[in-house]
Amino acid sequence: MSTETATRRSAPTGPPRPTPPDKTRRTVAMVALASVILLCFWLVESRWSRLPEFPFDFARYLGFMAEGVFANPVGDETLTGFWTNAAALMIESLHMAWIGTIIGAIFSLPMGFLAARNVSPRPVVAASRAVLNAIRAIPELIWAIMIMLPVFGLGPVSGAMALGINSIGTLGKLTSEVIEGIDPGPVEAARASGARQLQILRWGTLPQVMPEVVAFWLYRFEINIRAGAILGVVAAGGIGSLLSSVLGRRLWERAGIMLAVIVLVTIAVDMISARLRRRIIAGPGGDDDAAPEETSTHAGAYV
Amino acid sequence: MSATATPPTRARRPAKPGVPWTTWAGIATFVAITAWAVLEPLGGIGFSLAPLFTEQAVAGWYIIRRFFDPEWSFLPRAYPRFVETLYIAVIASAVGCSVALPISLLASSVTNANRVLHGVVRTWLSVIRSLPDIAWALLFVAAVGTGALGGIMALTIFNIGIIAKLTSETVDGVDLGPVEAASASGAGRVQTAWVSVVPQILPGYLSYSLYVFELNIRASLVLGLVGAGGIGNVIKVTLSRFEYERLGAVIVAFFVIVVILDQISIALRRRLV
Repeated sequence: MSTETATRRSAPTGPPRPTPPDKTRRTVAMVALASVILLCFWLVESRWSRLPEFPFDFARYLGFMAEGVFANPVGDETLTGFWTNAAALMIESLHMAWIGTIIGAIFSLPMGFLAARNVSPRPVVAASRAVLNAIRAIPELIWAIMIMLPVFGLGPVSGAMALGINSIGTLGKLTSEVIEGIDPGPVEAARASGARQLQILRWGTLPQVMPEVVAFWLYRFEINIRAGAILGVVAAGGIGSLLSSVLGRRLWERAGIMLAVIVLVTIAVDMISARLRRRIIAGPGGDDDAAPEETSTHAGAYV
Repeated sequence: MSATATPPTRARRPAKPGVPWTTWAGIATFVAITAWAVLEPLGGIGFSLAPLFTEQAVAGWYIIRRFFDPEWSFLPRAYPRFVETLYIAVIASAVGCSVALPISLLASSVTNANRVLHGVVRTWLSVIRSLPDIAWALLFVAAVGTGALGGIMALTIFNIGIIAKLTSETVDGVDLGPVEAASASGAGRVQTAWVSVVPQILPGYLSYSLYVFELNIRASLVLGLVGAGGIGNVIKVTLSRFEYERLGAVIVAFFVIVVILDQISIALRRRLV
């Protein structure tokens, strides 16, 4: 810095310093954004007055929940009942997520091939992409309310179907993207050795995409576990409905136990699934750590 | 040519590789879990497509038909709730994103040399993410009562979990050159993060923020169902009164809004990245 100013002083005829870039547009955008946010704070009918006391209240409630979680359940029938009940409902959520993922996997694989540009003719690609996009635009909850609950009645079967339909949309899209990114070499080799179209797909394309596709299935299973909890609120099975009524009645100890079960099971499944995914991508005997960390796909799969 | 029909000197074909036992174990596990999940006697959910072929499907079809005969005149009455959904989403995104930026810097080893602290932050983030948005909504509604405040708080926490995770991964991947340059010129930890890391992650961070805003709009469906304000509230009421025509109209309107906002957000994100 000091040498620069020194040279500038001694040589006033040197090249002029570049002018700093114009910041007007950025400033205008920032001010506009800030005013929109402030306007929302101003207009929303929210009981802000409850905010100052909230930390103390919440700390107290957390204390109640911790009491429930850390109390010794051995010999206490109510507490053991809460734990087994929460576990049973969480297992129901897991079952819904598992079945939903299987439904998604079964239908999304052919859909993925139909929606891949390098496999299917143009009109087929356009049509199957439109179907996949429409499915993805509608959340599980709406599938459950509008289609599954009327047909399958209240209960986990509706939930599993809703999760399954939604999984077809996301998995189909991801599968088609993987198929479009394959190495054309094996496909050409299969064609050169006289394979028919179906054989090319089976021996040229499928082996290349399968590891990644299976990893997506596992990842979707993780998402479905979370989504399955929501469906209970509309009585489509899983742990959601009881959690909702327990928290509605402010039974903090019991709610604490249920939340603990959800967190523990979800994290455990996530860890197993993450290991499996890494193993599948790396291949047998492959170095677990050499597998690429999934980052961008993570964000994409949420939608 | 016929002499070469049975060449005795031809090399043996290599034996087909056997199926490793792990594959069989995997298949067995898969079948076992599936059976456990599907079959009611084993404790499963009793999954079956049979209802599709009974009178129940016919009765269901009548309800579904009512959804597709929307009562548009109901929409003006639902308007305030739509606006409330937008308010909740904007506020929760703004607060969540502002809080998530420093947290994501704490959650990366690039900007936080304290291994213990960054491990703790990462663990907390994964706990936050392991609870679905609905659980947060239920928790905060129980704590502060029904209304928009519970929804705002639930979404804020949810947003922090997602943005901090995605942004801290971006921080892990930044170019270390500017970081070294900043610390070599005597910048402190916070200054280094601010001048060398934040400019690098800014496009990613802003695009995650927009993405989270989209998620928030979608999540508002669920929030209202548990009493946390927004359009979900209307869905809850109409559903409990079996007013399927009104519900249909609200859902269609909701989707139009979601699609429009998504398009805006995608356009903005494309410009950012």
